[in-house]
Amino acid sequence: MVTHTRSARTARTARALNAPRPALVESHADGTPRRVNRQDVGVLREEWRVVDRWWTEEPVHRRYFDVVLESGQNTVVYHDDDAGSWFTQRA
Amino acid sequence: MIAAIVITAFDLRAALRLRPRLQTLPAALAPLPGTEPLVGSVTGAAEAQGVRPGMRLGEALALCPGLELVEQDPAAAEQAWEEILRRLEDAGFAVEPAEPGTVFFDSKGVERLYGGLEPALKRALAAAGSAWDPRAGAAERRFAALAAANVARPGQALIVSDDRTRSFLAPLPLQLLPLERSRYEELEELGVRTIGQLAGLPGGAVSERLGPDGRRAWGLARGEQDGRISPRAVAQPLHETLEFPEAVGNELTLRRGLGVLLDRLLARPERAGRPPRKIAVWARLVGGASWRRTVTLREPTADPARLRAALSAKLAELPAPALKLRLEVSELAEHTGEQLELVAAEGEVLQGRLREGLRQVRAAVGAGGVSTVVEVAPWSRIPEARALLVPREH
Repeated sequence: MVTHTRSARTARTARALNAPRPALVESHADGTPRRVNRQDVGVLREEWRVVDRWWTEEPVHRRYFDVVLESGQNTVVYHDDDAGSWFTQRA
Repeated sequence: MIAAIVITAFDLRAALRLRPRLQTLPAALAPLPGTEPLVGSVTGAAEAQGVRPGMRLGEALALCPGLELVEQDPAAAEQAWEEILRRLEDAGFAVEPAEPGTVFFDSKGVERLYGGLEPALKRALAAAGSAWDPRAGAAERRFAALAAANVARPGQALIVSDDRTRSFLAPLPLQLLPLERSRYEELEELGVRTIGQLAGLPGGAVSERLGPDGRRAWGLARGEQDGRISPRAVAQPLHETLEFPEAVGNELTLRRGLGVLLDRLLARPERAGRPPRKIAVWARLVGGASWRRTVTLREPTADPARLRAALSAKLAELPAPALKLRLEVSELAEHTGEQLELVAAEGEVLQGRLREGLRQVRAAVGAGGVSTVVEVAPWSRIPEARALLVPREH
């Protein structure tokens, strides 16, 4: 007999708080976000870079943007320069 | 070491206990009424004809026209599983059940009792019962122990040493990892079919493609630390049963029966004045199937009127007339009474309330439902590296 594989087995492990989540972002030519998760960016409040762990095999090169969307929602997105993709995260 | 005992297709085996003849024939668990028409666990004979768990019913029947569909019997499965856990506990194993058919325990305490790891695993297999064809696995990591138990033969114990964990896991199929079905398919389309192939991919790419679950599976595939064993607290069974002379479908009669069971249950001396926190209503239906609903009370109470109100609503969901009705107390609260407050709570009282709240959350969503935020690198510039959510067991 074989087990039903749909049931995920439980394993209680520690996990990161505030882990980044993939985001759908369209950007301008200068790399600043234009639309985030299908909503237009109203205001770009702040921008900063995080470069860390460059001495390891998993270096971090991120360009963060604190934006206010047209809906009034305040969100932080970043572009992972190594992976070439966008994520949202509470910074 | 961490040990795992696995009984494959446990739900199907439990449902077939009364019809053992079907165990050797092509059979599968039928989908529940009102759910997606997908077959559940299947017998070896059905698998040999190409039927797989999770396959659409139409496809399964087209592949194997003689496929016997077995009605699910969750109450029988739960009861059989509880019996197995009790036998393991009676043999000295402090068990942590993961799901029906899968249980973990730490071998440290029992190795000396049985004269080594292997004899301890053999004892655990014997306690589970040879009729269930249990398999055992042991390793330093929980996932490796589970994988070892899954690939062991029925009645066999497979021990994986720490330095061989990665090489042991490498050739095994991805399906052993706790991932959504669609994820396996996605990975297979990318040419990733074994745990070793997944472990060989860069972690960042896996996270991006598959999200946090994928990242966790990748960690497991690489033999990373995946949690310690937290044995369950052994509970005293507390239940009352009412057998009807003939099948009862009338809600009023069922409610009266429930009231009688509730009065009997609340009068049991084992309760020692403690109010129930979690109660299950169970029924044996006409035709042999079983039905079960669990109610977790927001506030533990021994007030019959409140309990009746909470449980009676469930009786309306009964799909067929019942031959037998049972009420089980799954969990009792620790306190025996509650004083209303005159002044705002603080100190020990407040702590007590917080603990009670956490117990309620655990009772409602399971042991992994409460976590503590542990700051590990608050100075880090990487937000997700600053703190961890660590499951709180006690």
